[in-house]
Amino acid sequence: MKWKAIALILLSLTGVASAHRLDEYLQATLIAVEKDHVDVSMRLIPGIAVSSAVIASIDANGDGVLSPQERWDYAQRVLNELVMSIDGKKLDAKLKSVDFPQIQEMRDGLGEIHIEYTAELPAGGPDRKLILENNNQRQRAVYLVNALAPSDPGISIVAQKRNPVQSTYELDYTQASGPPGSLPASWWTPNLFQLGIRHIAEGTDHLLFLLVLLLPAPLLVVGSRWRGTTGVRSSLLHILGIVTAFTLGHSITLVLAAFGVVHLPSRPIEVLIAVSILVSAVHALRPIFPGREAGIAAFFGLIHGLAFASTLSELGLGRWERLAGILAFNLGIETMQLAVVAATLPSLILMNRTRAYPWLRVCGALFAGVASVGWIVERVLGAQSSVDVVVNKLAHHSVWIAGGLFLLSLVCWAFENAGPALSNDLPVTS
Amino acid sequence: MTKYWITGIAVTCALVAASIMAVDSTAKSLPRSTETAQIVQAANSFLASLDAKQRESVLYAFDNEQQRARWSNLPTGFVPRGGISLRQMTPAQRSAAMNLLAVALSKRGYEKVQQIMEGDEVNKKTDTGPGPGNHGNRPPRGNGGPPPDGANQPPRGGPGGLSGDMFGKDLYYISFLGTPSEQTPWMLQFGGHHLGLNITIDGGQGILTPTLTGAQPALYTEGGRTVRPLGPESDKGLALLNSLDDGEKKQAVLSYELADLVLGPGQDGKKIQPEGLKATSMTEKQRAMMLDVISEWAGIINDDAAAVRMAQLKADINQTWFAWSGPTTGTIGQNIRAYYRIQGPHLVIEYSPQTLGGDPALHVHTMYRDPTNDYGKGAIKQ
Repeated sequence: MKWKAIALILLSLTGVASAHRLDEYLQATLIAVEKDHVDVSMRLIPGIAVSSAVIASIDANGDGVLSPQERWDYAQRVLNELVMSIDGKKLDAKLKSVDFPQIQEMRDGLGEIHIEYTAELPAGGPDRKLILENNNQRQRAVYLVNALAPSDPGISIVAQKRNPVQSTYELDYTQASGPPGSLPASWWTPNLFQLGIRHIAEGTDHLLFLLVLLLPAPLLVVGSRWRGTTGVRSSLLHILGIVTAFTLGHSITLVLAAFGVVHLPSRPIEVLIAVSILVSAVHALRPIFPGREAGIAAFFGLIHGLAFASTLSELGLGRWERLAGILAFNLGIETMQLAVVAATLPSLILMNRTRAYPWLRVCGALFAGVASVGWIVERVLGAQSSVDVVVNKLAHHSVWIAGGLFLLSLVCWAFENAGPALSNDLPVTS
Repeated sequence: MTKYWITGIAVTCALVAASIMAVDSTAKSLPRSTETAQIVQAANSFLASLDAKQRESVLYAFDNEQQRARWSNLPTGFVPRGGISLRQMTPAQRSAAMNLLAVALSKRGYEKVQQIMEGDEVNKKTDTGPGPGNHGNRPPRGNGGPPPDGANQPPRGGPGGLSGDMFGKDLYYISFLGTPSEQTPWMLQFGGHHLGLNITIDGGQGILTPTLTGAQPALYTEGGRTVRPLGPESDKGLALLNSLDDGEKKQAVLSYELADLVLGPGQDGKKIQPEGLKATSMTEKQRAMMLDVISEWAGIINDDAAAVRMAQLKADINQTWFAWSGPTTGTIGQNIRAYYRIQGPHLVIEYSPQTLGGDPALHVHTMYRDPTNDYGKGAIKQ
């Protein structure tokens, strides 16, 4: 009684007129629609000024104790005042559980009565309409009614309609008649797909690694140097092999890391990624693993995948979201990678037929080498360098650079083919 | 020849990785773990300032679900909190506690918390008796208590007069679940009337969900200056509503009344069906405005943790909804009398003016949740 007394003192002190909420009875309902039934949970909270009346109506024999039978009967009375229907057919609500607070908590206006009930849903068409009307305590009640996001992927909510006080609630939803277990409608997460694209587009280190690895792809090794060229067909196959191997590598570790099988701190991985660029830059200058580019791409792919995973893990996705997320994210990465390869491949193959190619190869390799050393220093020492700034500036103009490269290769190619006498005089070597 | 190269590369990589991991574990040079290190240090300083009995009172097991959920919008006299209050501390202990909060929160987050506490002090002073300028504090209706529990509950009430028991800036409680650590997860709770901060620290991660803020009076003057603890929430929400065209407004404004928080205290981890206007129907500018509204809650925690959280919410933005209920008119600089909700795959924000204290513009409850990660339960590996 103590708190009620305090409350009433406060009330008298501060003017009752505006405090109408105290004499309200909050009734908050959450509805979970399933395939063949609906589960409803209610929280009933009588305000301090109405709690005595509510308690009196529960305590049928007036002995000041709320017996289990009296609690169950009260919940049943609340249920009897509900009208629930599906597609116009009346539903039979069955009481599942009743949970009461201490009687003193209720007197204080703090007690929450929890009632759970369920109703079977007859089979129906794809478009369904559930109506719930709560007539309990219409004069005092304040209602809140909401549907929970459906756990069944075959069910999707179209609309929730209510009268202004929420005593009448209508839920329109669709129910797929197909077999359960099909992919949820939300498996496709366009945001993560875009994130994958952005990760490659903005993560210039991943791109640089791949591009530099592609540089010597159309070439053959003679002795310990790059000499001559392979045919277009074999270049293409070679490049396809490298890209596929890289994808395979990073997909494996992405999945492993995303599910917590492997867990590595991000900094050594970032350094190793820079090392991978250095290695492929050296390789583009002098062949150190000729013919094994695919293997190297797969190996470093494993490392790059760990970095992708840390991006995903920052998003804090759940287990299934994560699987769908990996798929979308990886597809984004692949899409961007293919776009970059498609944008540079014609230039590489075209220019490879000219004497300008060694220049491109050496300049590209040197640029990547310098950038990677800068990154290694930056990432090991945690020091600031201008590598990131310069490379990102260049990457912002990647479309122009790719276009310029293509024009350049066209010019070189046209120049050499226009003067066959000239080019026949000189052997094509580095 | 090639074989040697490949072996060489592999060995070099392994060495680089090993050495950096070694450096990493000793130097803690990652910016994210620096933040955690500072919070842990501040927490340990506070704990060291307590006597043995106090320390026992503030430390709970990390798996104590009752204490985890023991927060509320209600005054501590109605719903007792765990831990110890600022009132039970010496000045040195109090400043160690506030320093911990300042480190764990961002600058604006810390200011918001102080303004909420200061507001309760104003509440206390205007509540000591009848008279002019009384904002009309009422004992609350019951909604908002933690889940009912039996034993192990702190005693109700305490010494002191009526309003001394109910309100005041020293009636805010601090408690810990688990031991402050840079590696293993633990929780810092700080709260009282209209405040429930639940900060879960897991290694480099800082998680603020679920957190409740509220204010009554939601507008007061202090030293001639007008203070609105939750003013930016009101202003930015209203500005977003005002930026909508008629068609968008029709979708965003719900046709029914929302008298209270739908997912208030006790409603952890519940995912309701979103309603209102989906961000895909907004302009780029409106989406940016919505992110700015969100940042008023997501940005309460320290800047590093807030940046990670904002990146997640930004990635979610197209699946995020904005709903409004109540008067669609209002004035920037004064508090709105309408409810609004922002909901996405990892977010529920509710702004809910309360009619309980008279003018709903002067009494606000708000809730900030991630139904997939309340108390870091989605992030922490079991």
